[in-house]
Amino acid sequence: MDGRLVQELWDENPDAILAVAPDDTVLYWNRAAEEIFGYASAEACGRTLAELVIPSNRLEEEKAMHLEALTRRLTVYETVRRCKDGSLVHVSVSSKALKDADGRLRLVVSTQKDVTHLKVLRDSKLVEAKFRDLLESTPDAIVMVNVTGRIVLVNSQAERVFGYERNELIGTPVEVLLPARFRDAHHRHRSNFFDSPRARTMGAGLELYGVRKSGEEFPVEISLSPLPTEEGTMVMSAVRDISDRKRADQKFRGLLESAPDAMVIVGRDGKITLVNSQVERLFGYERAELLGQPVELLVPPRFRGNHPEHRSHFFSAPQPRAMGEGLQLFGLRKDGSEFPVEISLSPIHTEDGLFVASAIRDATERRRYEHALQQANRLKSEFLANMSHELRTPLNGIIGFSEFLIDEKPGPLNAKQKEYLTDVLNSGRHLLQLINDVLDLSKVESGKMELHPTTFDAELAIDEVCSVLFPLVKDKNIIIRREVAVDARSVTLDRRKFVQVLYNLLSNGVKFNDEGGEIRVLVDFDEPGSIRLRVRDTGIGIDNADFSKLFVEFQQLDSGATRRFGGTGLGLALTKKIIEFQGGRIDVESRLNVGTTFTVHLPVADPAEMELPEPEAIV
Amino acid sequence: MNGMVLIVDDHPINLKLASEVLLASDYEVVVAADAEQAQQLLTTLVPDLILMDIALPGMDGLSLTRIIKKDARLRHVPVVALTAYAMRGDELKASDAGCDAYITKPIDTRSLVEQVSALIAVARARLPAK
Repeated sequence: MDGRLVQELWDENPDAILAVAPDDTVLYWNRAAEEIFGYASAEACGRTLAELVIPSNRLEEEKAMHLEALTRRLTVYETVRRCKDGSLVHVSVSSKALKDADGRLRLVVSTQKDVTHLKVLRDSKLVEAKFRDLLESTPDAIVMVNVTGRIVLVNSQAERVFGYERNELIGTPVEVLLPARFRDAHHRHRSNFFDSPRARTMGAGLELYGVRKSGEEFPVEISLSPLPTEEGTMVMSAVRDISDRKRADQKFRGLLESAPDAMVIVGRDGKITLVNSQVERLFGYERAELLGQPVELLVPPRFRGNHPEHRSHFFSAPQPRAMGEGLQLFGLRKDGSEFPVEISLSPIHTEDGLFVASAIRDATERRRYEHALQQANRLKSEFLANMSHELRTPLNGIIGFSEFLIDEKPGPLNAKQKEYLTDVLNSGRHLLQLINDVLDLSKVESGKMELHPTTFDAELAIDEVCSVLFPLVKDKNIIIRREVAVDARSVTLDRRKFVQVLYNLLSNGVKFNDEGGEIRVLVDFDEPGSIRLRVRDTGIGIDNADFSKLFVEFQQLDSGATRRFGGTGLGLALTKKIIEFQGGRIDVESRLNVGTTFTVHLPVADPAEMELPEPEAIV
Repeated sequence: MNGMVLIVDDHPINLKLASEVLLASDYEVVVAADAEQAQQLLTTLVPDLILMDIALPGMDGLSLTRIIKKDARLRHVPVVALTAYAMRGDELKASDAGCDAYITKPIDTRSLVEQVSALIAVARARLPAK
């Protein structure tokens, strides 16, 4: 055999042939070695096998084998080698130590046959037999790979999800199931996993994708578990297609973003899991600075202490509600500044458990506005109170001296003088009523009106109002009939307001009734706890179209009637407000030229629960 | 003469009105425009009744009433409070201060005399028992 042929046999041998010096540096590297391991001969020569192809977790094994080769001259074993691109191959190694005459090691020659595929078939057979039935029953797609990253088993869910036939996948590097851009990184992650194999979720917190045979990518969630077998450790990956969930998630996030309020979603552990961009704007944090942080980060330190307790309380009885109702709540910005907030909480049930969504609104403007409004209202009430006092003082003189003169205390008057003075007196009284009504109206509106229920006789209250109205009633020859149900004689109400309502309705009835007409006042209980007062006249009636104007301040239905009948234009508006203030209501029924009935429903107080009268403010 | 009434009111026309009404019904009337002036008058005279406006410049009418009701010499004199508007709060404050009655302004000239004479009668009836 000539030397060229021998050289050719070395170079073209289908198995890798290499020679290594005693210091482990490569001396010879044939073409098959180049193909299997990816390093060109020129790259490999002069470097050690350990740095070229021995995976870090195989260094010990390699040392033992080397020792065996030294002692027994020849050793044959199967192991794993790392290629230039990081991928692993199974090789069957035969090594022989060559020594010089003095017995010193000269070099080690080895042939290394790539048995990756054979190993896959062996592994596949093993795991199929052991796990196939078990894995078919899980809902997830299962892909099992061996140490070299070759697929050794897939279940039918995996076939369906990825769109491959089983026999297309067995023996293929698992990276075929990954989008191309992730493949390189995956090699590295895979060898890391084998270095310290333990069950875990793949790429926690990262977005992972699979790729189907059609090239379509889809989001996945993957959990990994090592599976020790007599053929070495396998990795089982359970792959879940989370496209639907992602879509739902996307929809949810879209919804969050479209909410006008800042939304913070927090788990049972108090960590922030989701925020919308309104949160970034409101609190001055970047989203990434908040995710995973305790929500107390957004709460001023003085409120943090009780917060976890409130949270666990919420989780124990999760219901949508406003946070700290009636309390002043504050948020804390990144820059340390505080601002008033309103917060509402709602539970969110997800497959990952219960979360709480808090909608947070900056209440700065609102509080400022409320404060200004309160101020304005107070000023208005003060103004009205002062004004009414100031207006009443001169009326004292006008009304008092008119009466005094009309009664002819200082001396006799002639008929004209008496008539005109009576006009002065009536005008004065009208003005006084107007001032009182305006004041009452402002008290209802500013919430300053107070209720002082006492138990009294409704019949006597009606008689009292009738006696005040007597002069008017007598002039027009009107008959007032009262019918009070026996059980309604003794009622518990604010007597002054009851009389005020009755007076307004009765004087209204008298004013708009014809000569010789009739007014009926009926009091009874239409339901327990609610008294019904009806005032029915036989007057001019009201057009149904005008009902809505009836209870509006200073809106009298026809100005002619006003001139004829007088009145302040406030009576019914005030009456309605006083009734509603007490939790009651007033209805009206009317037919033109037949008559009008006002019906008032008033809840009565329970005499047992009557409060002691509270003094009202002096006006 | 039906009795002597001290009227305390800072408003001259109201003062005049109450005076005229009582004078016309044969009462003797003494007037004061503020509490301090009234207090001065009360050192030398003991009226049968005092009509006391609550809102006065300087010391208010209720404070003066409290002083009067602590004074053994004056304690029996009925004090009638006069205020601008019928409010429960005023009524309570007036009776807390020791007022014997309460009249809302504008005063009713027709019932004022009746009220005054009734209160004086009650006070006189009590006096001998003391």
